[in-house]
Amino acid sequence: MDNAFADRLRKKSFLLPEAYGNEFAKRVFQRKDILFALAVLLFFIGLALFAPLISPYDPNAIDLKNKNLNPSEEHLLGTDYLGRDLLSRVLIGARTSLSIASGVVLISLFLGTAAGCAAGYYGGIVDESVSRVIDIFLSFPGVIFALTIMGVLGSGVFNLMLALSIVHWAKFARMMRGQVLSIKKQEFVLSAITGGAGDFYIIRKHIVPNAIATLLVLATIDFGHVILSISTLSFLGIGLPADVPEWGAMLSAGKEFMRTAPCQTIFPGLAITLVVVIFSILGDGMRDILDPNHEGGEIY
Amino acid sequence: MSLLEIKDLSIEFPAGENTVKAVSHVSFEIREGETFGIIGESGSGKSVIGLALLRLLPANAKVSGTVFFQGQDLLSLKPSELRKIRGKKISLMPQNPAGALNPVLKNGLQMEDVFEGNRAEKKEGMKKALKLMKQLFLRNPEKLCTLYPHQLSGGMRQRLTACISLSFEPEILIADEPTKGLDPEAKAGAVDIFNKIKTEYEKTMLLITHDLDLALEVCDQIAVMYAGEIVELDLASKVLSTPLHPYTKGLIRAQPRNGLVPLSGQSPSRIKLPEGCFFHERCRYSGFECSRKHPEIKNYKGGLIRCHFLSLK
Amino acid sequence: MKYFLKRAGFMAFTVFAVCALTFFLMNVIPGGTAELILKHTLVGLEESATEEQLSQISSRYNLDDPLYLQFFRWVKEAVLRGDIGTSYIYKKPVLYLLALRLPATVQLAGASMALAIVVGVSLGIYSALRENRISDHILRIVTLFGVSMPGFWVALILILIFSLKLKLVPVSGYGNLENLLLPAAALSFHSVAAVMRVTRTSMLETLGQEYIRFAKAKGLPVWKIISRHALKNAMLPVITVIGFQMGSLLGGAVVIEKIFAWPGIGSLLVDSISARDLPVVQGCVLAIVTMFLLVHFLVDMLYTHLDPRIRYG
Repeated sequence: MDNAFADRLRKKSFLLPEAYGNEFAKRVFQRKDILFALAVLLFFIGLALFAPLISPYDPNAIDLKNKNLNPSEEHLLGTDYLGRDLLSRVLIGARTSLSIASGVVLISLFLGTAAGCAAGYYGGIVDESVSRVIDIFLSFPGVIFALTIMGVLGSGVFNLMLALSIVHWAKFARMMRGQVLSIKKQEFVLSAITGGAGDFYIIRKHIVPNAIATLLVLATIDFGHVILSISTLSFLGIGLPADVPEWGAMLSAGKEFMRTAPCQTIFPGLAITLVVVIFSILGDGMRDILDPNHEGGEIY
Repeated sequence: MSLLEIKDLSIEFPAGENTVKAVSHVSFEIREGETFGIIGESGSGKSVIGLALLRLLPANAKVSGTVFFQGQDLLSLKPSELRKIRGKKISLMPQNPAGALNPVLKNGLQMEDVFEGNRAEKKEGMKKALKLMKQLFLRNPEKLCTLYPHQLSGGMRQRLTACISLSFEPEILIADEPTKGLDPEAKAGAVDIFNKIKTEYEKTMLLITHDLDLALEVCDQIAVMYAGEIVELDLASKVLSTPLHPYTKGLIRAQPRNGLVPLSGQSPSRIKLPEGCFFHERCRYSGFECSRKHPEIKNYKGGLIRCHFLSLK
Repeated sequence: MKYFLKRAGFMAFTVFAVCALTFFLMNVIPGGTAELILKHTLVGLEESATEEQLSQISSRYNLDDPLYLQFFRWVKEAVLRGDIGTSYIYKKPVLYLLALRLPATVQLAGASMALAIVVGVSLGIYSALRENRISDHILRIVTLFGVSMPGFWVALILILIFSLKLKLVPVSGYGNLENLLLPAAALSFHSVAAVMRVTRTSMLETLGQEYIRFAKAKGLPVWKIISRHALKNAMLPVITVIGFQMGSLLGGAVVIEKIFAWPGIGSLLVDSISARDLPVVQGCVLAIVTMFLLVHFLVDMLYTHLDPRIRYG
């Protein structure tokens, strides 16, 4: 492969493993912004886990007498077009988004790491073919790809996870391939190879541990993207069945009543934004540690 | 008479919660037509001085003291006034020619930069610059101007940056580590270039280097820096042939042709400098007083030296 | 030239592979296509459909052939006669449907791209020049939210504020400039933030380079340093990101077109997927991938043009 497009795709992921393992963890816990984002994330996860206990109402209880209400003391965020309590629905929606996104990121991470390892480690024809497949998957806008797959599979939690994983694995594979190529050149890998260690042993003991920090950063950044994709597909009515409470779907249903009851549009969107912002702060902070920016001088 | 007068120059950089003292209380003057050398290990603060004179340090650097040039204090000039001096009256020959040339611009344009703002001057100046390039052993300068920096060799880039720095005929040239990272052949070329600048153009120069051969060849006066301070200042021939300060002696012994005896130990941390003489931990003559009292710089046999044991030598 | 051909080959291969992928994907669940076509032929008379009619349709659309044969026939028709199929539902050639919808999408994506470049780059430069001041911090927080807000939510909030509350622009429609404002703003929001971020980082990195310091030492004024020395270098990574943003713009266009009832390819794609109108889905995918790859091709050309190290590499 020697065209500039593909090269750029790969170079983009080429972070040298400068800080790994303990050193990386130590520096992560020294940064206030990361710690703050982690605390907020844990809070969100807590809310999602204990949603049924915290929610003031049953998120699916229909109450047509109290539909499209604005925030009040009984309903802190108001109610939707079927009179369901919006706060309870937003809380339970966190479960949907976070759990599906975790699934997608884990599957993509696993698939991508495996493919990237194979391509980077074995090189030759394996690398050629895997890289070619990665290029094709990356030359297609992700949302549209997922949309097409969902069109075939039909809506559903499992199908959504599958579709998004098919879209997202390629990023991990590209990153992992770059990592493997750079780690493979390091002395300790060369000496392990000379020492007669098996391929699987080298990948498990040397390559994966050294790439883990970079993969973690990508996974964190990607987590936010996956949450955005989930809500986009649900918003289009292609993602999840109607009875699963999800922020994008809530927005989609609520937008019809935007003129009179804008809360149904505002709050679910705010929830999505906040969660994605948290993952952006986490991901950016960790990436800064791996790949610190150069200092800029002042101009006068 | 002195052309550039530096008084009590101190430079600090914040590093997290601490401050790094890069340069402390340095004073010296450069007379018209002379070549003044600053030598010392890397990290001794010598390059920082060169950049500070033209206020090219990052914005977070704290610079105090005065730098008088033609009756003006460079450190308190307005930016617009400063620009009239930069490149025109005082110019900098950068440390790393490969990094100092913009990779996406043609060489010719980067030469014209110096004449920016005056069309007539630009035309006239470029003519002179082309002549200068020929004199500095660059063949076919017109063609060179249409090329990009990455198409030149290391030695050619070196000469090109030298030309850029000299093309406005500045009164002072600050050369920052001009031989750093050059191969021996290019180094020899650099010595030729500086001799030429010195003898033919009679330029005043501030030469910052760790290359003692170059310093001996070109400089009239030399200041030796250690841990941000001047420890010895005298005529070049005196400093390099009969060094007085133990650090200067060590530097000379570390030269390959003098047996390559390295100085033991490391430069002290610049966040927390040691008590007493900054050099006492590495000094073979170190005595009781050295670890207690910081030596002042004193006149001694026509030069300046910062050491407690003057009387012993 | 050789590079050009190679590049075109890669593009053709990718388009082919994506089409094949879509084709087989849409046919993963076998059967049903004939019933689907029949349903749209006999609207309201579905009950009367007979086995005979089904097999008639199957043979007319060659639905009983193996998949690879069907795909092969599609490619042959597409390459030889430029015929990429007929919609099962609208009974019109796909090419005709695409031609009808393409201008709207190009208009929307083009306007958003222009916004992203102009606003993103200028705010990014501003932010870099004001590093760590209040305005920089505010802009950084805005971009953090900008890259994190879902596009459809931005669209709805914009409608809520500008159409419903302030009544400045219509909620939806197509044709006038005032119709384009909200969709383009909503679609470009994410890209503006992304472009701004990378511009800021890249500008800061460039401003820390040695050639910028040398340019300062030459006495160039600030705006000249930025326009001549910093901008071109700083734009290299920005251009790459702009290429990648094209993907997110085309993806985002699907949702934005749906919300604003914008008659583009995105909404056609969503409708066709819901209706399982395979030839149209295939056509939309073909169009979108081609646009995406063309933009990347342009980006590459621009990149090579700006960086002489690649051009003469």
